[in-house]
Amino acid sequence: MSIIREHTQATLSDAWRTINIDALQEDSSVNFDTATLHPPQPEISEGDARQIQSQVRQLLRGGDAEGALRGCLETPVYNGGELARETHLQTVIEVLQSIKASEMTPMLQRIYSSPGGSECLDVLMKYLYKGMAGSSSSSAGSAPRTPSRMTPQPTGFSQVGARPGAPAESTGAAMSVLLSWHEKVVEVAGLGCIGRVMTDWRRV
Amino acid sequence: MAAPEVHHLFHAPIADHSFSADRKTLAIARDTTVELYGRVGNAFKLKDELKGHDKTVTSIDIAPNSGRIVSCSQDRNALVWEPTPQGYKPTLVLLRINRAATFVRWSPSETKFAVGSGDRLIAVCYFEEENDWWVSKHLKKPIRSTVTTLAWHPNSVLLAAGSTDAHARVFSSFIKGVDARPEPTAWGERLPFNTVCGEYMNNSAGWIHSVAFSPSGDALAFAAHDSSITVVYPNAPEQPPKAVVSINTQLLPFMSLIWNGEDEIIAAGYDCEAFRFRGGSEGWQLTGALEAKGRPGLGDQREESALNMFRQMDLKGKVKDDTQLKTVHQNTITTIRPYETSGPSVRQFSSSGVDGRVVIWTV
Repeated sequence: MSIIREHTQATLSDAWRTINIDALQEDSSVNFDTATLHPPQPEISEGDARQIQSQVRQLLRGGDAEGALRGCLETPVYNGGELARETHLQTVIEVLQSIKASEMTPMLQRIYSSPGGSECLDVLMKYLYKGMAGSSSSSAGSAPRTPSRMTPQPTGFSQVGARPGAPAESTGAAMSVLLSWHEKVVEVAGLGCIGRVMTDWRRV
Repeated sequence: MAAPEVHHLFHAPIADHSFSADRKTLAIARDTTVELYGRVGNAFKLKDELKGHDKTVTSIDIAPNSGRIVSCSQDRNALVWEPTPQGYKPTLVLLRINRAATFVRWSPSETKFAVGSGDRLIAVCYFEEENDWWVSKHLKKPIRSTVTTLAWHPNSVLLAAGSTDAHARVFSSFIKGVDARPEPTAWGERLPFNTVCGEYMNNSAGWIHSVAFSPSGDALAFAAHDSSITVVYPNAPEQPPKAVVSINTQLLPFMSLIWNGEDEIIAAGYDCEAFRFRGGSEGWQLTGALEAKGRPGLGDQREESALNMFRQMDLKGKVKDDTQLKTVHQNTITTIRPYETSGPSVRQFSSSGVDGRVVIWTV
């Protein structure tokens, strides 16, 4: 009787469940760098990201919004420093803000039906989510500014983040731009696009 | 197209289903038991329950010629159920794994079966005459995560596996004394056990849900959680493949796929209906859903009176009753299998899913 009780007591306690048995196995996933499963991505430095930014701005000034959008979606920063990533996010958002609502859907449809277009819209979706995450996480934060107030600064983006009390309405405006793009991208590329963003190991 | 034959067996998920060769017996993995249904007229009636597992049964397969049933479960065991005049007699298989068994399939030769597991390995099992039991050999090497799905090449030596590390792989499962030396194929010429003949992943790298060899065995298709289907055409052993075609879709991910001839793939999954893809090594395309929607008799097409409309608005706050999906399956389809084939092409296939339905479709 007592043995049975002791036994039940021992098994009822679930302390053994907290033992991380994976750590004890040498070929388990925690003892293995999962990054080696994927082919490496080309590294993009901050300088490269700035160069892309200026090229894209040039296209925008020339009135080729679609070319600008394609240009920045074809060179996502998968492997790069924080600054390079932020710079590219800013580039994408600048382009998105400069495109009129009525032009969104036809432009997305043209991109989607062109070769490699599905991939481009997946990248766009990644930047939309990154933009939303950025502008909600810190109130001052990485709220993307409108192109009209853009002043080229050597330290650029991070300096804005440091400024206290950035205007809240610009965060809201940026978010509404991102949300309306999100809606249009889902219309064109379907729910599969969201699924791909969630499964993809290449983060922007 | 003939209307699909719908069998709503119960209100619980079906993990896997398998028909016997004469299509009179249907085996269903339900919770911890394997249920056998027999065809009575147009319906399937519960005939037998095979109890032997003490955790969820994850996969079952009936060997078409011998009639043996193999089942595997999260209790880390696989059982082979031998048909005898007194009913089915279970034999435990020594899998030697310490995580759940996830997937099991007989090889076309029926002398072996493969069990995928959460232990990052595949157990290839065969019968050892002198000891009178099923033993297993492990395919382990480059697998880095749970094996979710398996498929056999027609030669019973090559085995395709998909896993949650987003790779689809082709292995050799050659076992001396059981297999005859296979003819060389585009996948490889000399094939000792655990030769990795190919390792593939697509761009966005979702979990692999399903793999399948084409009827000739010269192409491999896999469906991943990124709503895509990828078809691989191997070139020659040790060389990069001739073509890897990946189709990203606008749909939800596919859970299962089968080939219909060499130029058509049928896939079904979270969208609760089957879709058709057509193509070849130069490219593949989604051609549309298999299901004709808006058939007469589907859903309740009863006349809407004004009184009824306002009553619905009052009771439910909406005019239309939209609790029913427009598809036959009312939840995710988890398995599709060929039901009737003629040579390489599929005439009818069966699907089962989370909604407890087994449906037989005419292609």
